[in-house]
Amino acid sequence: MRVDVRALGACNRLAERGATQAAGALTDLTGTDLSVEVTGASVASGEDLAEAFAGRESIGVSIGLRGGLEGEAVLAFDAANVEALLSLLPGGASMGRSAVTEVGNIALGGFLDGWANYLGKGIDMTPPRYFEADGAAVLPDGALAGDGVFLFESRLDATTTDLDFSIYMLPDSGQFRDLVVGKTAPAAAPGADGGARKSGADSTAVPYESLSTFASLAKRGSANAADNIAMMTGLETTVDVSRLRFVPLADVPAEVGVEPYAGTVFELQGEPSGYLAILFEEESAAKIAASMLPTEPDEPLGGMAENALCELGNVMTSGFIDGWANVLGTSITHSPPEFVHDIGSATISPLVAKLSQRQDYGFVIDAAIQTEGVETRCDVYALPDERELARALDRLSES
Amino acid sequence: MTHRPSSRGGALGGDLDGGRIKVGVSDLAVATDGETLTTSGLGSCVAVALADQTTGVRGLVHAMLPTSAETDTGIERPGKYVDTGIERLIAELETAGADPGRLEARVAGGAEMLDITDAIGPRNVERTEEFLEAAGIPVVERAVGDGVGRTVRFRADGRLVVRAADGFERVL
Repeated sequence: MRVDVRALGACNRLAERGATQAAGALTDLTGTDLSVEVTGASVASGEDLAEAFAGRESIGVSIGLRGGLEGEAVLAFDAANVEALLSLLPGGASMGRSAVTEVGNIALGGFLDGWANYLGKGIDMTPPRYFEADGAAVLPDGALAGDGVFLFESRLDATTTDLDFSIYMLPDSGQFRDLVVGKTAPAAAPGADGGARKSGADSTAVPYESLSTFASLAKRGSANAADNIAMMTGLETTVDVSRLRFVPLADVPAEVGVEPYAGTVFELQGEPSGYLAILFEEESAAKIAASMLPTEPDEPLGGMAENALCELGNVMTSGFIDGWANVLGTSITHSPPEFVHDIGSATISPLVAKLSQRQDYGFVIDAAIQTEGVETRCDVYALPDERELARALDRLSES
Repeated sequence: MTHRPSSRGGALGGDLDGGRIKVGVSDLAVATDGETLTTSGLGSCVAVALADQTTGVRGLVHAMLPTSAETDTGIERPGKYVDTGIERLIAELETAGADPGRLEARVAGGAEMLDITDAIGPRNVERTEEFLEAAGIPVVERAVGDGVGRTVRFRADGRLVVRAADGFERVL
């Protein structure tokens, strides 16, 4: 059974439509203009999710699905945003529960209409159930077991506040994968299940089972990078969260945001080729650079800090790509580091532009790496060539 | 494509009185009611602001690549490319009541952010100038090139406020 990674693009578009419906519903309820800033789709294993959701509190709405798609879908707001959300709703906190239920119901309805059209089958929704949940309890039943869950996460932007919400959908058993695979069969080329299809340089179809390998790329890479930093700085380093997401390339700059960032970017050669950017918020960049230097630098992000960040970028990047090369059984090399210090989205836009000539979607690895003693966070944007990545995953499943 | 009515409540003062329309990467939008069009994080991308000062109809495109001829992904979003983006923007402006013969352009972005990605920024600017010249639209102001990220606001008065990463602001 094969699935075209670009089918996730179709999923993403559906999620975007649902998010836009939700934004519209919120705009009507609150009188505040809201727009959908970013929507990303990802596939995550139960273990990763439990880790990622530890300590998070959510409120939201869940519905059961029947008909064309069976399972459960959830729309959740981060509890940290609840006050912002309630302050926007008429009636404030007293109206919170019913307004949240209403918003969730409308948004999930829109989300599922899109799916029903895509699948050509009706999907029935059970009445919405309001919930407040700790940690991974927010996820649909069964998400933490088995293959994991398809996650759709969207960020809403109001003039005054960011309002993140997520849609999580867990379709029952093999039904969903059959649908996605069925839909993508033409793209996956005839005879794709047999051994006949050998080359297909332009194919982005991979065996369904490879999607979990895909998810493990993020983890292996981050763990390796953390080990390398620990070796270099002597500071104990841990990987906070890591997930591999599928996002429209055009949304990547908005995701990085307009805050100033410092860090390094690399070009990757091999299988897959692409780009890797390691970005620190200014304060974190200065902190980690200072921790690596024998004396306090004259300027927080001057020449000495630049050298330190380049060196750090080098060891992190080798960590990442060694991890991927090991998982994929390929060889990947990287260019020397290029130091960047500018508006985050402006820094990433040339990389996105370059990849956009060949593809519309990218994979972003979110990794927050914390070094003990020095609290820093960084974001790693890995933007591989999708065809080359698919090819490597494909080969992996054959061996 | 973002094409929304202006937001409610214009008591903010300054240039956001008429509401705000955000234009994302590979996106374009038209303002007919005094809204401020904004786009942020321009690196190698180019922002082209077109205005018909007589009718007050304005539009902004945030394009990522010089030409749709270099792509093999299909043209799902015309705003992704300088050529298809400007072409679509002109058409949208005309539909909204602008006279293409009266349009004037302000251009920002096209920075050379990185060494490892060729000269996408300068090529975006070059293609923009070529395309506008062929369309007979004069470029009245520009803040392009260098290695600096920019954020722009296209005000109701037709002026383009360009803010660089270091906080330096220019009104074009």
